[in-house]
Amino acid sequence: MRKLFPSLLTSITYLLALIYFAPVLWILLTGFKNEGDAVAMPPSIIFTPTLDNYRMILESGAGSYLGHSAVVSILSTFLALALGVPAAYALAILKLKKADDILFWFISTKMLPAVGIIIPLYLIIKQLHLLDSLIALIVLYTAMNVPLVVWMMRSFFKDVPYDTIEAYRVDGASGLQGFFKITLPLVRPGIMSTALLCLIFVWNEFFIGVSLTSTSAVTMPVYMASFMTQEGLFWAKMSSVASVAVLPALVLGWFTQRQLVRGLTMGAVKG
Amino acid sequence: MTSYSKTAAKRSGDSPLIARGLLWPSIIFLALITQIPFLVTIYLSLHNWNLMRPDMGITFSGISNFVDIVKRPEFWEVLKNTFLFTVFCLGMCLVSGMALALLLNRDFLGKGIIRTMFVSPFFIMPAVSGIVWKTVLLNPNFGFMAYLSSKLGVSPTDWLGQWPLTTIVFVVAWEWIPFFMLVLLAGLQSVSPDLMEASLLDGATKMQQFFHVTIPHLLRYIEVALLLGLIFIMQTFGEIYVTTSGGPGYASTNLSFYLYRLGFQGWDVGGASAVGVIMVVLTTIFMTILFKFMRRTFGGGLS
Repeated sequence: MRKLFPSLLTSITYLLALIYFAPVLWILLTGFKNEGDAVAMPPSIIFTPTLDNYRMILESGAGSYLGHSAVVSILSTFLALALGVPAAYALAILKLKKADDILFWFISTKMLPAVGIIIPLYLIIKQLHLLDSLIALIVLYTAMNVPLVVWMMRSFFKDVPYDTIEAYRVDGASGLQGFFKITLPLVRPGIMSTALLCLIFVWNEFFIGVSLTSTSAVTMPVYMASFMTQEGLFWAKMSSVASVAVLPALVLGWFTQRQLVRGLTMGAVKG
Repeated sequence: MTSYSKTAAKRSGDSPLIARGLLWPSIIFLALITQIPFLVTIYLSLHNWNLMRPDMGITFSGISNFVDIVKRPEFWEVLKNTFLFTVFCLGMCLVSGMALALLLNRDFLGKGIIRTMFVSPFFIMPAVSGIVWKTVLLNPNFGFMAYLSSKLGVSPTDWLGQWPLTTIVFVVAWEWIPFFMLVLLAGLQSVSPDLMEASLLDGATKMQQFFHVTIPHLLRYIEVALLLGLIFIMQTFGEIYVTTSGGPGYASTNLSFYLYRLGFQGWDVGGASAVGVIMVVLTTIFMTILFKFMRRTFGGGLS
């Protein structure tokens, strides 16, 4: 009895994990099926894999949406780091008087729902003739991620022992030199996981994307939404596009799992 | 801590100029992109402006947009939807996330892979989760649930047609349970082993230990998970967009989606802005209450 119970719990865990993961597995597998196999119920595990769907989406121009998503995610993440890391450094190391208030201001901007500002943003961006442009998305996504960068990086900077930072000052290095040579390398893992989270958030963002783009700057999530109608009847094709859409975020997510808790809770809880 | 930091600042000789140089770019940028537009939202909410009727122009209308909206029966339905959706979804996430965290807080073969499997739905973009649930699982003719019901001999249910809001709660919970699980798991793993051992030595049962040692320790983790879950789940949009588009009628429209319908389908700038203001006010009220909570709990950790 005493041995049975733990192994029973483990079996339940395995079963639950399988059920929980099944929709994801379904997407990844069905992308390699032909349309006939795709709609078979119960879903077939054994089938002749085909690359036809992937060939088709390459020809259909979905590649450009993928490109938009990549450009927007990478550039906005880079910009958010460029703006947020120095601010986090100032807040964590330089011991400002109002550091707490500034921090709360940063996180409060993250809590302002996007719906509260989307109408003016739409009108302003329209005035600037930047509707349906990648630039508009990059700027907004940068703003979306700066608070996240500040909060996460502040908690990573806080982990750097103060003595280490003090040491290079004694050696006479200027603040900037010390920052690039000593502090930054120490928080490199933190920067990596912050960047990964930013990438994931931008990659999956839908509301701003669907509100501000129509044809020439459409990102993957917005393109995916077009499968909600007739296109969604072709399950194999839909799954292959969905696989391409979810895999980057999924793989990055798997890599960043260990820092995920800290990132998502903005440093309030260390995972 | 305060006295230490004062001397530290003196010793290091950081000029406030450097600090300002590091801070201001991001503050100005954020204020420009997020705060000023909100002031514009307030301004617009006090005006009549429909993009489909340029002939009518923009006229000041006082609070008539708010009065109009509050008078509409659908607004109250939307408000109720938002509230029920958020509460039920958070509840499901908390209970299931806790259960999964407890299951994973044990030693067994393949723990890493199992955790990865549970975490995965969190990274799936809302547009894809919504569509896959809608077509593959819930389609009343071809979906997996329809197949299951036919095997069980019951007639298939049109889940999204009959219970749109409840069904979307499940889709969103599927994505957010992993987050709760991860945060609570981090909490469970940080319970001090000494404390656990001491309580066992004192003769506590496993059950007593869970309620008197583990849960109090987890409180702050639960708060963090609820707070962040609240922010994101209240703003659910993509899943609604691709599954029901807010219908039938307004049965699955929440505040975010209501604003989208008014603004980007009806082009009613004034009305949509008013909903935006209402949304922000409601969020702020919730946040202020929770912030007080958090400040109290994390007071030490934040300074």
